[in-house]
Amino acid sequence: MSLLAPRTLSPVRRRLEFIAVAVIAVFLILILPLLNGLGVISNFHLNLWGKYLCYALLAISVDLLWGYTGLLSLGQALFFALGGYMHGMYLMRMIGDLGQHKKPIPDFLVFLGWTELPAFWVPFSSFPFAFAMVLLIPGLIAYVFGFLAFRSRIKGVYFSILTQALTYGASLMFFRNNLLLGGNNGFTDFKFILGYDLLSPITQRGLFVVTAIVLIAVYVGCRWLSRTKFGLVQQAIRDGENRVLFSGYATAHYKLFVFVLAAVIASIGGALYVPQVGIINPSEMTTEKSLEAVVWVAVGGRGTLIGPIVGAISINALKSYATRAFPDLWLIILGGLFVFMVLFLPGGIVSIPSRLKALWQKYRATPPPPPSAAVTLMSASSTHETATVKS
Amino acid sequence: MNDAPVERLTRIFSFILVSWLAPLTFAAAPASPRLAIVEAILANEDTGKRDKLEALAGYGDDVIIGLLTAWRTDALFIYEAPDGKKIPVQLIGAKDDNGAQDVTRISDGAPLTDASGNALRLAGSDLVAVEHNAMLRRAMKSVLDLVELASPDQEKRRKAIQAIGFAQAADKLPTLEARLKIEQDKNVILALREAIALTRLIDPNDAVKLAALEELRDMHTLASYDLVQASLKAADTAGNKPVATAARSTLAAIDHHRSFVDFFGTLFRSASFGSILLVVALGLAITFGLMGVINMAHGEMIAVGAYTTYLTQAVFGAGITLPCFGLSLSIPGMNLSGWGFQAYFIAAIPLSFCSAALVGIALERGIIQFLYRRPLESLLATWGVSLVLQQIFRLTFGANNVQVSSPSYLSGNWTVSDIIFGWNRVFVIGFAILIVFGVWLVLTKTSLGLLIRAVMQNRQMASCMGVRTERVNMLTFGLGSGLAGLAGAFLSQIGNVGPSLGQSYIVDSFMTVVVGGVGNLFGTVISAFSIGGLDQIFQQYLPTWAPGLKGVPVIGGFLQNLAQDSSVFGKILVLALIVLFLQWRPAGLFVARSRSLD
Repeated sequence: MSLLAPRTLSPVRRRLEFIAVAVIAVFLILILPLLNGLGVISNFHLNLWGKYLCYALLAISVDLLWGYTGLLSLGQALFFALGGYMHGMYLMRMIGDLGQHKKPIPDFLVFLGWTELPAFWVPFSSFPFAFAMVLLIPGLIAYVFGFLAFRSRIKGVYFSILTQALTYGASLMFFRNNLLLGGNNGFTDFKFILGYDLLSPITQRGLFVVTAIVLIAVYVGCRWLSRTKFGLVQQAIRDGENRVLFSGYATAHYKLFVFVLAAVIASIGGALYVPQVGIINPSEMTTEKSLEAVVWVAVGGRGTLIGPIVGAISINALKSYATRAFPDLWLIILGGLFVFMVLFLPGGIVSIPSRLKALWQKYRATPPPPPSAAVTLMSASSTHETATVKS
Repeated sequence: MNDAPVERLTRIFSFILVSWLAPLTFAAAPASPRLAIVEAILANEDTGKRDKLEALAGYGDDVIIGLLTAWRTDALFIYEAPDGKKIPVQLIGAKDDNGAQDVTRISDGAPLTDASGNALRLAGSDLVAVEHNAMLRRAMKSVLDLVELASPDQEKRRKAIQAIGFAQAADKLPTLEARLKIEQDKNVILALREAIALTRLIDPNDAVKLAALEELRDMHTLASYDLVQASLKAADTAGNKPVATAARSTLAAIDHHRSFVDFFGTLFRSASFGSILLVVALGLAITFGLMGVINMAHGEMIAVGAYTTYLTQAVFGAGITLPCFGLSLSIPGMNLSGWGFQAYFIAAIPLSFCSAALVGIALERGIIQFLYRRPLESLLATWGVSLVLQQIFRLTFGANNVQVSSPSYLSGNWTVSDIIFGWNRVFVIGFAILIVFGVWLVLTKTSLGLLIRAVMQNRQMASCMGVRTERVNMLTFGLGSGLAGLAGAFLSQIGNVGPSLGQSYIVDSFMTVVVGGVGNLFGTVISAFSIGGLDQIFQQYLPTWAPGLKGVPVIGGFLQNLAQDSSVFGKILVLALIVLFLQWRPAGLFVARSRSLD
């Protein structure tokens, strides 16, 4: 099950990585919005990139679970959408009486025959409350579900199937009007956020900057976490849970913490996604969406933190292009990509340089390694190495 | 009158029959109602006409509807033949330039001919329209109302009787009673008794009312509930105690019957839904349970089976043209009809097994064989395959559902004391039992089954003993996929067939296998019926429990609101119960005991 050998970084590489992150941060936070302000980048494209960055947050949350802890959760889209819904409720309240029915409550409630706000909607008029709910509700659901699942040591594919069922159940519920969360139309037609006009390019630019800052912060935080003892235990769980368990670590607690953390990250991503896209509905919380996020991670490179970001951005850019160029074939491309990545490039895009390097070394190496060396390499735990040895 | 003797005899005969016998002999083969109408038209006095019209009430013939409607809309005429004979005729068809139309004789519906046998064309303005007045129109209306009562189709008859009963039309009472005396069909008799009792509920006489309520209590039909309730309300406002008490006891009887019907109906639906789950999950119990492969494309195997059924139907019928990546593929049909066509489903069953098994084998050879040691990745790869397959279905068969007709032997139902047993549902139960038995036979009594079990228990050891594990894997996966295909053939009879057919069952079937305990067929059977049963019970009884939810603090009202949506909320409850169940038995109902870890 161990895909990736733990890597120790030399100080040089560490500095290089720091510089790279700083450059990307400056580029995302300052240069892109500036270029947009100058009119070089259209509002449409900035908005699109804002969306990609939100997806990158979702991808990081998937990777935190799958790449670092070995838990393939098919429920991340649920948390993403829940964050979106919590924020969406605030945005719906901000519409005030500017809706089509000109009533002080959201249009769909008027349509369902309500004359005043249901009790649980009332506090969502306050942004701090909504923000707290963005963190709390998905965190709580993840906590309860994770507690039950990890306590009974549900792992591997069972965990995937159960999270899939969780997502399925939730989406069934959100599709109903009776939940009073907009039914299958969800929320849309937002007007204001914190008093700013949501449709103005300046607000959208601000949202983009906030998203970029959050993404960088989450990246740095997770990077830090993966270097701590906690992070190492987390990766040890991925590689051999029973050994970790027998070494005296309460693996369930570790997994629970990571599960909740990933849920909160996904939820924040969703909360940032909604004002930029302008709509949230239950089709965002299906298993397919979760699996799509898993593809981003698989394509980018699981078990790295940069991989999910690269994957999310590249696949979504491809999607934006392909759904317009050949709408009929997009799903076939996506599915084929999935199969291809799993079969031929398990390390994802970010593993391409190291693979090329290995190939190059193999090409340079004369004479070829003796068979005994190949056998020892074969038994090593890293697939990277085994892959390069295959002749 | 210069009637030919034969015609005269017929007319006399029919006259006798119509005027005296008809009211008494509803079910006896009557003389042609056409002749009766001719009689009515030619009768001299209005009262005579009315009597003759009322005599029509016993006939169940659609001709009457057409002719009487024509009469009321001034489309019947009297043609005076050159010999002075008066012939009632109907003008039909398009008018030509002179306003002339085709003419048919009312007496036999044949075209009116002149002496040399040529068909005549006449204009309405040249003829005398058959007259009618208020009294006749009323008579005609009551005849029309009752025509269906005597219809030879018993279902039509029953519906007409029920309609009269629910309208509580007291003036129809004598007709209903007359009909009751001669009616043979059991169901129609029941409908008649119900209709008569319902109509008597509005009788001013209390004794009649009480008798009617008693009758309704004995029959306790679900449909009479509302009218009995109305009569209870009326009795309460009128302070009529005995009637109110009787009505209450009738309502109690109906309620009791309703709970009986609900209970056994739920039981039957549980069994049938459980069987559907079982049929769907059985293939998965083999690929996932025995082989440990997470096949997310299992749902698409089901869809392959369903689409194969659709194609088989098309081949037995008119053929089909499919768009196939820019090309169009024409499949000729055999253009069968009747039983030949109905037999398509028999042919579709093995075909859908084979096609899904082939797709499954291709999938196993192409992808899964490389991923046996990486279960999470096989999940991802097969999900990719499922996306591709779904899109291929969409491109070839269209994004909408396709129409798979049910053969007649699967589309009827039995109704036993108000519980409906659909044949397709009964069939799926029997079928589930059959294939579970079949799979059990294959796994335990054949050499392939022996090899399958050996490989699944210990792949290396089996391989060392000379078992060709690769081949066994392939065949096992083919078997699992084929079973999914069979499930698809049956789902095509129960639900819609569309590109995302499989997606709606995938979660349920995984749950079934997980709850049953991986690698145990018997566990799958038990869990399928438990999940199916729970689901149906929640669906049936959640709305009745909903008021009880109000007591829950804070979210009570919210829960109550949700519980109204019983089908969805029931499903969610089942999922929640499954998660809780796995707390108690993490490895499912039946665990294959083993000392190995991971």
